[in-house]
Order: sequence, then structure tokens, then C-alpha cells
Amino acid sequence: MKLHLVYFTVLTLNSKLFFFGSGPPKRPLMLTIVFFALSGLDVLDSLNVIDKPSLIEWVYSLQVIPTEDQSNLGRCGFRGSSHIGVPYSTSKGPGVSHPYDSGHVAMTYTGLACLVLLGDDLSRVNKEACLMGLKALQLEDGSFYAVPEGSENDMRFVYCAACICYMLDDWSGMDIKKAIDYIRGSMSYDNGIGQGAGLESHGGSTFCAVAALSLMGKLEEMFSQRELNRIRRWCMMRQQNGFQGRPNKPVDTCYSFWVGATLELLDVFQYTNFEKNRNYILSTQDRLVGGFAKWPDSHPDPLHAYFGICGLSLIGEANLRRVHPALNVSQRAFEYLQHLHRTWRGTCT
Amino acid sequence: MSAITQTSDLTNKAALIPLATERPAYYRMSGIEETSNVSSEFQEERSEVEVEEEIGYEDPFRYVFYRDRKEWADLEPVPQDDGPNPVVKIAYSDKFTDVYDYFRALLKNDEKSDRALLLTAEAIELNAANYTVWHYRRVLLQALEKDLREEMRYITAIIEDQPKNYQVWHHRRMVVEWLNDPSEELEFIAEILSQDAKNYHAWQHRQWVIKEYKLWDSELEYVEQLLEEDVRNNSAWNQRHYIISHTTGYSDPAILNREVQYSLKQIKKAPHNESVWNYLKGILQDLGLSSHPGLLEQILELKETHCSPYLLGFLVDIYEDFLENTLEHHEEVLSKALELCELLAREKDTIRREYWSYVGRSLQTKYVIVSSGFAPTNE
Repeated sequence: MKLHLVYFTVLTLNSKLFFFGSGPPKRPLMLTIVFFALSGLDVLDSLNVIDKPSLIEWVYSLQVIPTEDQSNLGRCGFRGSSHIGVPYSTSKGPGVSHPYDSGHVAMTYTGLACLVLLGDDLSRVNKEACLMGLKALQLEDGSFYAVPEGSENDMRFVYCAACICYMLDDWSGMDIKKAIDYIRGSMSYDNGIGQGAGLESHGGSTFCAVAALSLMGKLEEMFSQRELNRIRRWCMMRQQNGFQGRPNKPVDTCYSFWVGATLELLDVFQYTNFEKNRNYILSTQDRLVGGFAKWPDSHPDPLHAYFGICGLSLIGEANLRRVHPALNVSQRAFEYLQHLHRTWRGTCT
Repeated sequence: MSAITQTSDLTNKAALIPLATERPAYYRMSGIEETSNVSSEFQEERSEVEVEEEIGYEDPFRYVFYRDRKEWADLEPVPQDDGPNPVVKIAYSDKFTDVYDYFRALLKNDEKSDRALLLTAEAIELNAANYTVWHYRRVLLQALEKDLREEMRYITAIIEDQPKNYQVWHHRRMVVEWLNDPSEELEFIAEILSQDAKNYHAWQHRQWVIKEYKLWDSELEYVEQLLEEDVRNNSAWNQRHYIISHTTGYSDPAILNREVQYSLKQIKKAPHNESVWNYLKGILQDLGLSSHPGLLEQILELKETHCSPYLLGFLVDIYEDFLENTLEHHEEVLSKALELCELLAREKDTIRREYWSYVGRSLQTKYVIVSSGFAPTNE
């Protein structure tokens, strides 16, 4: 465990960032990497190594806030990084107008999650603007773009949208019915869930769908018991030792979370084989720098390191905090969020 | 610091790439960080500077930073601003910083020019996942009314090199839409699938093209060819379902039967194949597994010679469907189902031992006849 702590700390505190395996550093996605690091440290019960106030400021500097004339409301949310070149500002005062500055749904999700993890009270989040920005991303079929300029649309962003609404305790940011229609329409003939209608069922999109429904409070309402049993079966069949993402594909550490968490939400994770799962995840550890990779003897990366830890947390590994299977943060952070919600609901607007 | 990419692929490609001076303007090396831990095998093939795109300088082999190019002197580069206490730093190469400082400057002014378009290609080469660069490039392509056929050639090369990147496929889709010309797509996607027959992006793009432009006609044949090559290709089975459900559908009994027979044939060839069993169950489950005449008998027969955990699970599901739809032979059917769950747990699918026990208990709870002392018999 200590090694993983080192791995995550290296990611956030060192002046140099190491990215292995997956290609050039993806600057515009920086916030997601920071989320993996922070949430990973949290699950390792080690957020105390972080300079929280500084990080909170940095996250707030990524918020796309309304300009003076409010003409950019449909573009609000959080950026992944400062890569566009907008001058640094920690969400104080109106936003700076820039022709290409918009939020990204995954960054808004991870930005809010990071703030929650860091114990911030979200008071500098312009909730109305975030929700307007989110609404602007939803398509007719219920799915979401990542950015208002347009992008691909699939179940990943449905999940991000659900997390945003959940964390802000406000579902006006989406048309829930349409989102649910999209989710139901993405169920495959084999009872897994694909990224969209007709697409191959996949562990990642199945998680996104089931977790989104769970966050909406609609899981039992929108799927019959028979359908839920079918989804359970599809997910259970993904275990080979670790978990695969699709039938007849190799296992990969991150599916120990994607599929594991889905099974947990469906109340049957307890019936998986913990030992084989654990042994697989541990076999993908990097003994030099810590972290996990998708396969044994491969380079670790922040995503697999984080989901490896989460996969172990699901089976109740010692010295790890429990992870909330739908919101994908520690139970501690989840309870802090519940507390925030209570304080919001307690006061009059 | 930087990335370690899959290098062996690149090594092979590097050897095939002509010198920079001979390459057409749009051709690019893959987006890797040049000053990084790129493997030495790769570096022997080409020195770092030889593979750079040069834009007509006196020495064609020396890369010149944008900050030193006189045609760019009018533009003030914009550095990234992470405030007084940058929390996450990446040590990018000089080249990366230089290109992106000028990219940010162009963005800020929303400049629409050929030089901007050229720069986006450099920025993409350095990081093909930067969605802002791709968006800006699309804006430029339209504003400058660029040749979209050339853009198709460009995006083809990029996807060949980085086929698992979301942005490149989205870009291709946009260009195809603008041209309203899907004529190259099926062949191109087939080429990508020949390198990785399960590439999710490729299949997604393929489904979109087929649906949008109604290119259904030859797809079943293509799917069959892929299944010939690998009967366990789950993506191909999914595509089979996609095509049939969008064309003939499965309601015609002749079609349904054809598909059932096709599936059984593939099962006999390779019994331990979850994909074919999922397909077979998928096309029959909504009608009710117990309602298809002769199916149970066929599966029981297969059980003797081509058994698998999938076959046994299928039987459990057929029995459950019986239980759901008829009271006849209730105890017998339930007992057979429970026996199979026990067999799976004990011997045939032990990794899911707890799950099959749970399935058995659930069946028991749901279907036990609670009247006058009836209870399922365990054999």
C-alpha cells in the first residue's frame, strides 16, 4: 500500500508528472488525472499529504463562470486545465470572455468531486451556471455531448451528467426521462449495456448506466426484476479471474471496479470470487513505482492505479476506505456530501 | 517528462516514412513527445529533427521554433497560466510549449488563416487528444473552405496511427457529414478492424455510417467473414444482431430459425464461446426460451457432446422460463434447474460458485409450491 501512496503523491506533488503507457500527456484532461490521484489518496486514507487549500484554489481556477453579460451560460462548468490560456482566476468576479472557453462535462464532474474530496463547501461553484451548461449538452435522444461545441455522445457523459446533478443536489440540469430512455435503449440483446443503442455491451458503459440510474434513484423503478437479473448475469459472467469488459476479451484491472461496482449496486457483488479478483489486481502492480496497470508486466497509469485501488476496496481490502459504488468517491467523502446537502436544504434561498 | 508509447509499431512505420522533405504537407508522424523516453530502436531509424515537418526554411533539417519564425512575429505567444502556485506541472519539451503557446495566441484572437491551420496539425501531432485543437481546426476548415478530400486523407493517416482516440473518429465523422460522402468508410473501417477486430470506436463509426447512409446490403456478408476468422469475436456477433434487427428483423420465423441454426452450427464448431450463446439466448429470450419448439431437446442433446458453462446456464434459463409460464411438471422442472445450479457451482463454473448457489436459492424461493406440504425434491 505504501508504494501506491508514493505513486499517487508523486502524481500530484512533484514538479514532474509521469504518464506511462497511454500516450502523450493529455493536458486538457488534467482535472481527471488529479481526481484519480486525490480520490486514490482518499481511499488510501492519505489526503493529509495534500495541501488542500492550494488544490481547492486551483480547481476553482478551472471554473468557467458567467461573463458580465451572461452570454456564455450555456458554456459554463469546469475546464480540464488552463490549456486554452485563460488568465488565472479563482472563481472570484465575473468570467473572462474567450471565443473558445467552455466547460467539459467530465471536468465539471471531476472538478466538483475534487472539491468535495478536499472538503470544500462548493460555495464558489456557480450552480445555476453549471446546470445551464449541462442542460446545453443534452441531445434529443437523452445522451450528452462533452462540450457545447460538439463532440461524440455516449453513456460516459450520461454518467458524468448524473454525478453533476447528484452532487449539486439539483436535477434540473437534465431531462431525466430522456436520459433514462437513452439508457434503456442501450441495453443489448445479451443484457449488458452498450455506449448507445445497437452498440456492443461493455463493462464501462454498463457501470455508467447502472450507476447513473442509481444516483437518480431510479434503478429499481426503470428495470424489472427480470431485467435486473439479466444484467446481473451479464456482469457476473465477466469474471475470469479479474474482470473483462466484454465477452471474449482479456481481463483488465479497471473492470474490477466498473463491473465490480455495478454488481455491488445490484446487490450481488458478494457472490463474486474475491480471491481470484484480488490476486489478479495485485498481479498488475508495479513493484518499482507503485500503481497498477491494466495487465501484469505493463506500465501503470493513473486510471488503472486508481481503479485497482477501488477494485480492492470493493472486496473489503484492509487499510482501504470503502468506495461508494455509484458516485465513485470514498464513503467518507460521500457522507460529507450528504452533510452539505442537508445544510443547503436547511437554509432558505 | 513524457509518454512511453507503443514503440514497436512506430519503429516499423518509421522505417517506411520518407524523409521529411519528400513527405506531403499533411502527412504526420504519430503524436509522440520527441524528447522523451522514446525507445532507442526508434531513434536509430530517424534522428529527431529529420522527422519534423519543415515549412520552407533554408536548412530543411533544422526545426525552427515558432517564436523564432519571422512570419509569426506579429503574434504574442500566450503561456499557460496556472497562477502563483501551480499544483500540477508537466515538464513538456520546448517544442511542445512553443507550439501550444502559439496555439493559445491564435485561439484568443480567433484567427482564421492558413498558418493557423498548419499549426493545428503540429499541435495535433503533439497531442491528438486535445479536443479544442480539433474543434478549432474544423472551424478553420470551414472558414477557409479547405479541400475536404485532402482532410479525409489527413484524418485517415491519423486514425491509422492512433485508432483508439475519440477525437480522431469524431473528426472523421464530421468530415464525412460535410462531404456527405460515405463511400470510403466501409473499406477504411474494415482496414482498421483488420488490425484490431474489436476496436470499439471503429465499430461505433461503422454502425453510424451504415445507419446514416443506409449501407446495410453487404454488411451481413462482412460479419460472416469476420466470424469465419474468429467465431469468438463478440463485436462481430453484436454487429450481426445490429444488421438483422435493422433490416429483416427477427419476427419472421424463417429468419429466426436460420439464426438459431447458424448459432447451433457455430456452437458445434467451438462450444466454449460465450458470444454465440449470448446471441442465441438474446434472439429467443423475449419470445420465451421455453416457447421455441424443440429447443430444449436440441440443447440437452448438445449437452452430451458440446457442454460448457454457457450451455448449462442456458438450460437453467430455459427451465426458469418454463416455471414462469406453466404450472405443468413444476416440481420436476424446478428440481432440474436446481440440479444444474448445483452442478455449475460444484464443478462446471466454480468461479461463480456463490452466484449459482444464489440463483438456485432464488429459484427455490420464487417457485416452491407452498401448498399441502409440497417441496422440491433434491436428486
